[in-house]
Amino acid sequence: MGKDLHRPPTFVRAAMRVFDLSLGEMLWSRRTVFMALVVGGPVVIAVALRALATFDMVSFGGSVNGRPFALSGPGVFGLMIWAFYLRFTVPVLGVFYGTALIADEVEDKTITYLFTRPIARGAVLVGKYLAYLVCTSLVVLPSVVIVYFLVVPMVGGSVGRSFPDLVTDLGLLGLGLAVYGAAFALVGAWFKRPLLTGLVFVFGWEPVVVVVPGYMKNLSVAYYLQGLVPHAMPQDGAMSLLQSILQTFQAAPSAWSCLVSLALIWALTLGGAAWVVERREYVLEQ
Amino acid sequence: MTDAVVAVTGLSKWYGQVIGLNDVTVSIPPGITGLLGPNGAGKSTFMKLVTGQLKPSQGQVSVLGAPIWANPGAYAAIGYCPDQDAFYERMTGLEWVSALARLSGFEGDAATDVARKALETVSLTSAADKKIGAYSKGMRQRVKLAQAVAHNPQLLLLDEPLAGMDPLGRRQTIKLIKDWSRAGKSIIVSSHILHEIELMTSNILLINNGRILAEGNVHQIRDLIDEHPHKVQIKSSDPRALARRFLEYSHVISLNFDEDVVVVETNRPDAFYTELTALAAHDATGAIDEVTSPDDNLQAVFSYLVKQ
Repeated sequence: MGKDLHRPPTFVRAAMRVFDLSLGEMLWSRRTVFMALVVGGPVVIAVALRALATFDMVSFGGSVNGRPFALSGPGVFGLMIWAFYLRFTVPVLGVFYGTALIADEVEDKTITYLFTRPIARGAVLVGKYLAYLVCTSLVVLPSVVIVYFLVVPMVGGSVGRSFPDLVTDLGLLGLGLAVYGAAFALVGAWFKRPLLTGLVFVFGWEPVVVVVPGYMKNLSVAYYLQGLVPHAMPQDGAMSLLQSILQTFQAAPSAWSCLVSLALIWALTLGGAAWVVERREYVLEQ
Repeated sequence: MTDAVVAVTGLSKWYGQVIGLNDVTVSIPPGITGLLGPNGAGKSTFMKLVTGQLKPSQGQVSVLGAPIWANPGAYAAIGYCPDQDAFYERMTGLEWVSALARLSGFEGDAATDVARKALETVSLTSAADKKIGAYSKGMRQRVKLAQAVAHNPQLLLLDEPLAGMDPLGRRQTIKLIKDWSRAGKSIIVSSHILHEIELMTSNILLINNGRILAEGNVHQIRDLIDEHPHKVQIKSSDPRALARRFLEYSHVISLNFDEDVVVVETNRPDAFYTELTALAAHDATGAIDEVTSPDDNLQAVFSYLVKQ
């Protein structure tokens, strides 16, 4: 047995070690395989669009309410980022992984091994949160890049010219994963039925408050993420079409206020989740 | 008692309306202490309270002189082997024990070294690089023990460490526990099988319905338990061959089969376990994969004690 002198690791070191321990398990979990299939959906759609465009079987123009529009490849890509990724995949990943950070360990009864080590329980949560970020980024971002290369060159789009938009979109998705993950980590730590609570938040609360006038939209993540979308999406006909359809960005806050708000939500919810985990008692089923 | 490794005072734990532990006050001295009680008696609740996984509803728990709840620093000196069969199945034994040693404060190679030594101690060196998912029940028990001792803790808490082990595994593990005690560690080991506890220590805590019924010498309890028939379930590759051998023992009262399991009822459990271990060592009747014992007999003794 170890005769070496060893000292309990610091919070950061402990979190990194929990990250090391958790990443492999998370990457090869059934949840990740399922989510990889989900993010394969946009890729399939992108392949179909590209095939239709190649054989001139689809028109990327038309009119809405008498207003003519013409979609470009970057415009279609921007639409897909908004509709498939920011409004669906990112919140869903946040709910399913964020609420399960500690719950999975409790359900599998492996939490015992982590909570009987000389480390802060909050470090366990933070380490698992970091593993979630890497895992979900590895699931989502390659899908986005594939969609980008399939869709952007359509209808005269240029992969090179639009590349900064791709970088911005990837950053935005990473930000979304970080903030949703932190928010749902708090939900997972606090609530008894975190998955249900999370799904109600994502598919019930957020879609409603974002379009309803008033201040309730401030109590959502989607509002601030969507506030960043116009800055990330290409400013062409597709963007104005999107705005005219949804009417949700008319009072969009500035990019900086969105970033600051998201940073605050992230810090408060992740800190709150660590605080709750430190104090909560987890009773394993016998 | 000033040198108690664990001291609990007025300790109670309830889960909603259910009482897990009821007003327990006890001091556990250094050395090996057996926590004996039937399933649902409160052994695991006691272990979880002493390892700071559960918060007392009432009372205090002090481990090695310090409170344990919300005091992670205290875990540096504690090794815990839980009763649940839960693992990171995709990791190898070495990866898992190393990772947990790192969480106990060992750096890179030092963590791997202590993990290797711990696996060697529990005779798992040859399986160190196998995935835990491919381990047998006995190997899983032993890798749990390895993670508990890898960081060289002063106090070991072992919750049903022999459950599901084959007779040889049991014998080796009992020897290990005694070796660790001789090396200066204090050990609290729980079981619902008196015979197992008796082989490790004579100092026991008898627990039932969330209360400590008795503490002290094991031998008086043993006499009581031997008055009651004792059931042992043995999972074997050839249960019928095994049963034929059991029929030769005068103390075997009945035999029953359930697929690859033979259930033996005996009125002399100590003699039966000794003979079973000898049989397993000679491998004359096929491989014995698992030995378990329902706690009916112990429950009967507890009923008897409570009535007293």
